Amino acid sequence: MELRVARRYAKALYRVAVENNMVAAVEDDLNGVNSLLENDDTFRDLLLAPTYGRDTKEKVLEKAFSDRITGVTMQLLRILLVKRREEEFPAIREEFIRIRRFEGQVLYAEISSSEILSEQHKKSLMEKLTKITGKTVEPNFVVNPNLIGGVKVSYDNYVLDGSIRGGLNRLRDALRYDLLKQN
Amino acid sequence: MSETTEPTKRSGAAIPLIVIGLALMAGGGWLAMNPPEGLKGFYESLEHQGIALDFGKTISAIGVFMVLFQVIKGFFFNPLDEAIHNRTSELESTFSEAETLRSEIKTMRSEYETRIVKTELDAREQIQAQLKEAQALAQQLKTEAAAQAEEMKRAASADIANERDKVMRELQINVVNLTLQATEKLLGENVDSEKNRKLVEEFITKVEAPI
Repeated sequence: MELRVARRYAKALYRVAVENNMVAAVEDDLNGVNSLLENDDTFRDLLLAPTYGRDTKEKVLEKAFSDRITGVTMQLLRILLVKRREEEFPAIREEFIRIRRFEGQVLYAEISSSEILSEQHKKSLMEKLTKITGKTVEPNFVVNPNLIGGVKVSYDNYVLDGSIRGGLNRLRDALRYDLLKQN
Repeated sequence: MSETTEPTKRSGAAIPLIVIGLALMAGGGWLAMNPPEGLKGFYESLEHQGIALDFGKTISAIGVFMVLFQVIKGFFFNPLDEAIHNRTSELESTFSEAETLRSEIKTMRSEYETRIVKTELDAREQIQAQLKEAQALAQQLKTEAAAQAEEMKRAASADIANERDKVMRELQINVVNLTLQATEKLLGENVDSEKNRKLVEEFITKVEAPI
C-alpha cells in the first residue's frame, strides 16, 4: 500500500470536506464503508477483485451507498474505481482521520481499564488529559481485564500506566534490575 | 760429500803407482838382463841351494803386480766399490725414507689419536650440552604446562563461579516471577469494583504529563 498516494487522496478529501463543512459526516461515511470492507467478504471481493469490471463495481456502489453516504464520499469511491485505487481506501481513511486530528488539534488516546469506566470517571479523565496535553482528546475506551485494576492511557508515543498490571511489571523490572546490578 | 771426492783421490793415487810399477817393470827387466857382478855369486849360491832367486825379475814382477793391481782396481774394484757404495747409499736412503715415513706415520697416528680424543671430547661436550638443553627444555615445558594447567584451573573456577552466579540470578528472577504471579493472582481475586474505582480515581488525581 502506497502511503504517499493515500495521503494525497486523504488531503484532497479533507479539503473538500472542510469546504463543505461535512468533515464529521465524511469520516462517518469512511468508517462505515471501511467497516463493511472489513466485515463483509462479498463486498470486499466485489470491490477489490480484478475480475469485476469498473462499471459493475460502480453500479453496485451507487446502488448500495448513493442514498446512504455523502456525495463527497461517493465521488471519492468513483474516482478510486476510475483510477483503480480501490485498495487504497483503508489507508485513505486512516490518513483522513490523522489529518482531521492534526488540523483540529485533536489527540487520539486509547484508554484501557479492567472494567467499564463510569461516565463520571470518563469525564474526569478527559478533563485531566485535556489539561495535560493541551489538546482536545478523542478517546477510545477499551476494556482489558488483563490489567487487573486501574487504568492505562496511551497516546502518541506516551503511556500513562495506572493499572495494577503496569505496577507489577514495573516492580518486576525494578527487581530484575536490582538483581542484575547486585551480580 | 765423501762419495764424490773419494774416486778422484783414488784415480789421483793410481797414476803414480802405475808409473812406479812401470818403472819397476822396466828397472827389474833391465836388472834381470844386466845383473850386477856382485849379485851373480849370490844368485849362484842360492841356485846351488835350490833357490832360483832373481832380484830383477822379482822387482819386475812387483812392478807388474803394481800395474796390474791398479788396472784391476780401475776396471773392477772401483766400479764394484762404487756399486756397493751406491747400493749402500740407496739402502741408507731407503732406510732413511722408511724411517721418515715411520716417523710421519707416528706423527699422523699421534695426530689421529689427538684428534680422536678431541673428537670424543667434543662429542661428550656436545652430548652434555644437548642433555643440558633437553633438561632446560623439559623444565620449561613443565613450567608452561603447570602455568597452563593453573590458567585452565583458574578459568574453570571462573566459569563455575559465573555459572553459579548465572544460576543464582535465574533462580532469583524465577522467585521474583513466581512471587509476582502469586501477587497477581491474589490481586486478581481481591480487586473488586470498589477497589478498582479507587484506583481509577487515584490515577486521575495523580496522573501528570510525561516528561
